[in-house]
Amino acid sequence: MSPAPRTSPKAGRAARRRAARAQETDHGLVHRRWWTPYLFLLPGLAMVLTFSLWPFVNTVVLSLTDAQILRGGGFVGLDNYRRALGDPAFWTALTNSVLYTAVVVPALVLMPLALAVLVERKVPGIGFFRSAYYTPVIASAVVVGLMWQWLLRSDGLVNTVLVRLRVVAEPVPFLTDGTLLLVSAMIVTIWKGLGYYMVFYLAALGNVPRSLHEAAAIDGAGALRRFLHVTIPSVKPMMLLVGTLSAISALRVFTEVYILGGESGGPGGDSRTLPFLIREVGLGFAGETGYAAAISILLFLLTLVFSLLGRRLSKGDER
Amino acid sequence: MRHTRGIRLLTSGLLLASLLATAACGLSASGEDTSGEPERTGRIAGQITFRTLQLKPNFTEYVQGVIDAFEKEHPDVRVKWEDVPGEGYNEKLVADAQAGTLPDVVNLNTDSFQLLADRGMLADVAALDPKARADFVPGAWDQYRLPGRSGVYAYPWYVTPEILTFNARLYRAAGLDPDKPPTSVEQYFDHAERIADRSGGRYAAFMADPQGRLPGDWQKMGVPILDERRDAFVFDTPKAVEWVERMRDLYAKGAMPRESLTGSQDINQLYGSGRLVFGPGSPGFIKDIKDNAPKVYRETAVAPAVTGKLGHIGIYTQSLGIRKGTRHVDAAVEFAKWVTNGPNQVAFSKAATIYPSNSRGLDDPYFSDRGDGSDPETVARVVGAEQLREAGLDANTPVEWTNQVGDAVNREMHRAIKGDVRPADAVRRAQEAANRILRNQRDR
Repeated sequence: MSPAPRTSPKAGRAARRRAARAQETDHGLVHRRWWTPYLFLLPGLAMVLTFSLWPFVNTVVLSLTDAQILRGGGFVGLDNYRRALGDPAFWTALTNSVLYTAVVVPALVLMPLALAVLVERKVPGIGFFRSAYYTPVIASAVVVGLMWQWLLRSDGLVNTVLVRLRVVAEPVPFLTDGTLLLVSAMIVTIWKGLGYYMVFYLAALGNVPRSLHEAAAIDGAGALRRFLHVTIPSVKPMMLLVGTLSAISALRVFTEVYILGGESGGPGGDSRTLPFLIREVGLGFAGETGYAAAISILLFLLTLVFSLLGRRLSKGDER
Repeated sequence: MRHTRGIRLLTSGLLLASLLATAACGLSASGEDTSGEPERTGRIAGQITFRTLQLKPNFTEYVQGVIDAFEKEHPDVRVKWEDVPGEGYNEKLVADAQAGTLPDVVNLNTDSFQLLADRGMLADVAALDPKARADFVPGAWDQYRLPGRSGVYAYPWYVTPEILTFNARLYRAAGLDPDKPPTSVEQYFDHAERIADRSGGRYAAFMADPQGRLPGDWQKMGVPILDERRDAFVFDTPKAVEWVERMRDLYAKGAMPRESLTGSQDINQLYGSGRLVFGPGSPGFIKDIKDNAPKVYRETAVAPAVTGKLGHIGIYTQSLGIRKGTRHVDAAVEFAKWVTNGPNQVAFSKAATIYPSNSRGLDDPYFSDRGDGSDPETVARVVGAEQLREAGLDANTPVEWTNQVGDAVNREMHRAIKGDVRPADAVRRAQEAANRILRNQRDR
């Protein structure tokens, strides 16, 4: 209950009288407006219901039908899910997505932290470095993809240098080998995420009390020890957040693979990730919307698992 | 307790709404127009809607001019023009078809024609306008027939034919004669091999991505794609395997840029920078090169497309369909005829790099004047028009070869071209996958 407003005793009495009268004359005056808060919530709720919840429910329903893009389907139960589990393309995509997450997430939890510690120092000109590391974040994904394509092509900069220096005899097939293509895409994702998550860590580092570092220094802890025992425990909640966020975006990766590997998802489609498969299955006039929806739901479940994992870790930490 | 009742009401309202929407999701056949064929009344009047596919703002002036002239000729008719961007065009058509709000005269591409015609939403223009047939190139007219039905369901409109473009300087440097370009797929590969041998890795012959080459290359080599009843793919033949073997060998030799296999490289950039001998086979591309790479443009030569055993190119025109349930049949038919007539199509061709499907339009001297034979754009126009007159539907990609089939075949070809899988295995597996998809689509 909020404290009563401070008004003059006279005005207060009058208000109380009015309220009492209102209750006498119409018992439900206060209750009748139970919907007032909902009215305020309505615009926001309507947006969420229309653009998030409703499409989600629709996807679940769709995943239980054999709908095609131009034809409403009939109810087929869990057929689409069964089909996915027996589809080699689904397993390839699932493996790629999980692999992607497994590599990208640890890198994006640790590397931006190291970078943040570096640029947190107050050295002249550090602002330049902070901005420079952030540049990839504001560059469009397509520009970033094209740039890396030029770097990694068989006649690109990296291969030209490697061949000239005689490190390799033949150009490395970064973009035409399924596995190497996936690794290249991972590198792009990490490179692009570095600056983004660095900013998160910079905020968290700013909140670490200096006194802790000073106390540790007096106790004889060196820089590494202070990093491990003071910095890391202090920014741990942020690490979990970064882990969860980067896991969600890694599971949804599409652009990097698309730009580096073309529409087929790498040669033979070997580098396709789950979002890639969803697009492929659902696209075109023969697009199988029902099946694509089922794969979307499976991807959602996978994302949910990773998010819950992050939550659990952070809960354990609180205890 | 009004509070709870209100919430209950709200909840049931939401549930009802969601149930309704669930029932509405997907496409029902309810919007299909099952009324009989419209008949002409002889009175050309009323307001009709005309929808085009991405012609604004580049061709606003042209289209508006055509409309204005029509309204002047037929003062009782009002044409309401709406232009829709390419992205989501077909989705909008489907939504309109369901809602029963299709425009009276609508611009269709090959896909959207199939979509509406299959559902019986387009009027039979051959019945409404029996004389129209004589006006169009045979291939274009036949494109709008439907299997098992007698009618023709759209007026052919503009078209871009396939041609062969190549860098004559690089061609000559490889010891080849630009006056004797390849006419068969096998020759095309022979020339590519020669180019790979002589280029020293400085330039490549053509793009490796099988997506753009199939099933066309196979059709040109005489490989049957479907069986006669069109219910199974039958391309697993020694000829198809030979195609894969040659692609594999050429890829290994460096006749194609390595990354072009997956289509992630831009052909315009490669050709425009003089690193590719064979450019894309579309006349519009010549204009792009002229604008962006004038030096390479001067080196560009144009020849008829490789047609191999078919002897002619395929044809994919844009078209104008008339809504079956239109209230102003006469106005709609006259307007569609007006837009697709010879003079109007020729005028359009002069404004854009497109060709008329109207044979009288194609007879215009604009399409037969080679000039002195040195300007690629002019030569392309003549070569394209010549090919168009002969175009035949048997060279088109069959409708059964959907995106999904293309993707599945493409993946197997990638593996074989890279040398990871034996060509014979790849073709066999591609056919199995394609047939699985076809069966799957037919079963539904």
